Amino acid sequence: MKNLKEISTRLEIAKKKIKDRHVENDGSNVSSLGVGLKISTELVVSVVVGATIGFILDSWFDTKPVLIICFFVIGAIAGIWNVIKVAKKMQNKIKG
Amino acid sequence: MTTNPMHQFEVYRIGPEIILGSLNLSFTNASLFMVISATLILILLFIGTKKNLLVPSKMQLISEMSYTFVAKMINDTAGSNAKPFFPFIFTIFMFVLFCNMVGMLPYSFTVTSHIIVTFVLAGIVFVGVTVIGFIKHGIKYLNLFVPKGVPVVLLPLIVIIEIISYLSRPISLSVRLFANMMAGHTMLKVFGGFVISLGILGGWLPLSFSIALTGLEVLVAFLQAYVFAILTCIYLNDALNLHH
Repeated sequence: MKNLKEISTRLEIAKKKIKDRHVENDGSNVSSLGVGLKISTELVVSVVVGATIGFILDSWFDTKPVLIICFFVIGAIAGIWNVIKVAKKMQNKIKG
Repeated sequence: MTTNPMHQFEVYRIGPEIILGSLNLSFTNASLFMVISATLILILLFIGTKKNLLVPSKMQLISEMSYTFVAKMINDTAGSNAKPFFPFIFTIFMFVLFCNMVGMLPYSFTVTSHIIVTFVLAGIVFVGVTVIGFIKHGIKYLNLFVPKGVPVVLLPLIVIIEIISYLSRPISLSVRLFANMMAGHTMLKVFGGFVISLGILGGWLPLSFSIALTGLEVLVAFLQAYVFAILTCIYLNDALNLHH
């Protein structure tokens, strides 16, 4: 019985060590570079997509250039919003 | 000698011209290099899994490593729900990786430096993920565009913003891969041109840059395949587990 208990505590410690190491690795590996690439392109592309939607809607409703301006701004907001969301997610990950 | 740095991206026909209706289905150099990449993947995995040794050979090690790499990536980002989609993500990852890596060889052609190729790949991911989301959650999938805890006044604006960011996914996915590959290969070619035009006296500096850039490009080739696959996982995660 005592033997089993000892094994289980040792297992727990070993698992914790693995977990700690995992968190340490998380900071500076390839995936951080991936996240950087992801948000930088999304920031730019949202503006382009917003402007394109505005352009299409403008030619549908014949309201040049009102909607393209509106959707350009909304696209920019969407890009920044995305960056904030990713940053918040990263912060939550670090916290716990 | 002056060389056009964009000349390497030219698509030309190999073999006979095949025209079906208004479609030109001729075999081009782009198709050839896609076939080469796919064949290389098949050869690698076939040899790697042929003999299941306890102490793996090099080929077996590579194929097992690629398997565990993708499996771990899916598990970490999309959870165990996404396990059935492993073959799809593995195929996309390996195809993009091999296309990028084959493109690094001299005299070869980089398939992923053409936006139509990357856009079709991203389009498959986008349409597939949307369909999976609707199958899994039905009409409730549209809740993706309505974040929790937003004041009612702001809701219409937020919904438009969310729709724009959803629609920008396939474009950002394809443009990122295409732009990285094309920019890198153009830069390599430009520096290669400098080596020749500066001659034996001044050519050493761009040559050393060229070598450094080649290393960087190998990293980028791997990284872009990784980013493409991991974003597919993230989008799949959004479709499978709403609001997490």
